[in-house]
Amino acid sequence: MCGILGYFRKRAETDGQLGATMLSMLGALGRRGPDSAGVALVGPAHRAAYIVRVQAGDELEMSKQVIEANREAIQIFARALDGAYDVSCSGAYVRFVLAGDTDLPRLTSAIESLGEGIEVLSIGHAMELSKEVGSPHLLEGKHHISAFDGSHGIGHTRLCTESKVDLSHSQPFWGRGAADLAIVHNGHITNYHQMRRKYEQRGVRFVTENDSEVLAVYLAESLNKGATLRQGLDGVLRDMDGAFSCLAVTATEMGFVKDPYAFKPLVVAETDDFVAVATEEIAIRSAIPGDYKVAEAQVEEVRVWSR
Amino acid sequence: MVEIAAPVAIDAGTLSTKEVNELIRSRLQAGAAEICVANPNARHNLGVALLQPGRVRFLGSVGYYCGGLIDGTEIHVEGSAGWGLAESMNHGHVVVYEGAGNGAAAAIRGGTVVIHGDAAARLGVSMKGGLVLVGGDCGYMAGFMGQKGTLVVCGNTGHAFADSMYATTCYVGGAIGNLGTDAVVEPLSPEEAELLDRLLAQHLPPALRAQKPAGRDFTKVVAGRKLWNFDKHNWKDWQDAL
Repeated sequence: MCGILGYFRKRAETDGQLGATMLSMLGALGRRGPDSAGVALVGPAHRAAYIVRVQAGDELEMSKQVIEANREAIQIFARALDGAYDVSCSGAYVRFVLAGDTDLPRLTSAIESLGEGIEVLSIGHAMELSKEVGSPHLLEGKHHISAFDGSHGIGHTRLCTESKVDLSHSQPFWGRGAADLAIVHNGHITNYHQMRRKYEQRGVRFVTENDSEVLAVYLAESLNKGATLRQGLDGVLRDMDGAFSCLAVTATEMGFVKDPYAFKPLVVAETDDFVAVATEEIAIRSAIPGDYKVAEAQVEEVRVWSR
Repeated sequence: MVEIAAPVAIDAGTLSTKEVNELIRSRLQAGAAEICVANPNARHNLGVALLQPGRVRFLGSVGYYCGGLIDGTEIHVEGSAGWGLAESMNHGHVVVYEGAGNGAAAAIRGGTVVIHGDAAARLGVSMKGGLVLVGGDCGYMAGFMGQKGTLVVCGNTGHAFADSMYATTCYVGGAIGNLGTDAVVEPLSPEEAELLDRLLAQHLPPALRAQKPAGRDFTKVVAGRKLWNFDKHNWKDWQDAL
């Protein structure tokens, strides 16, 4: 089943409510997906620096000692980097900021080769990704997402129907190699295996067995080749088979694509102030008071909002 | 039975869905003419399986399956509705003031479903009777496998309109995205144009009716009856049928 949601403030000034609004929407969709919860939130941009978020290991699958050792290794690595600052740690997560430009695939593989189970969750100037196995409540307990201030973001609650339930397989997925890109997906990509094989033959590394990951890989490649988010999402409609509602964010945009058969739900509310997109209207109504209309997205609909 | 004149008010905000539905049911049984449900907050399964006459007003949006399996009740949704609105209704009258999600009026056997705004995909699929009237547009695959009844869309339709129908009659005021397998356009008779004008005047608020096309400007779509019996010479039609 799964629940996906997105929230985009149209006005430039923030109201300090992004995290709280997203958490409230996630909470309402919690019963669509009790397996895991996650968000990709876009905050104020660190113009000349990258925010790097790394998972030192899966607390449910790995021993504390191994995670502790991984965490140490990541921190030592980060501190040794030229231009790294604000290195911090929370649970199995390590976060640091890296000034200047860098080769993202190289940095990612350097970090991930530090130890078994290490995974870079996101790199971006403004986007930060947090996810946990379990409920949105648990996510809030560990990452305090309600305190996050920013302009837009996407979230996911997962009911696993394929692959496994662990932190890696949880959503959102970072578009590995593309700064600030993340996706959430509700549905099934039925030509996943062909797509994945095609990418793997070209040397792309997949970190999970989750079919949604191919959407992140696809969009990352499109955007890195110079496509806009809209062109990328149009491409998803052309190249992916199956039933899908997919939301994506970049540093300045939020967009969605809906499959040709309307197998998966997605509703949209738009006013002069905000855009809210969710699997069910209840998520929008319970998080955002006021008088506005909510309508179901149509088949093959692609929409992108940007600032 | 004594009719209770004053409308009964229920605040759904503080009750479980089961409690809301039980309250509605018991008030209808007691003969309430009108029940107002405040704070429906787009919750699912509100007002399902109601079997008594009387009017239920939801003062806001409802979630999935509102008005499903009802028989004889009148439901007004003063907002939008989620998936499966009035699904498998036997008889009754369901009105939505804004839009409805996928599968609205699916498999209804009778009664009337009126949507002032747009309907999403799979509107009125497999309907076995009754009337579905949409003020705005409808999505993909409306009318699929319709067996009886009347489907009226004042605006445009999505793709695969009226695909693989048995004998539902469809009328479209706007543009048809494309016709589904075995869907054919038939000339509209003056009586049908009159009927459409009557239905629109009866079911849409006057201001909304004024924005819609005149009855004579609707396009009539029916089943071409080529899929009623299997014919190996029509293999192409069977291949294309969804």
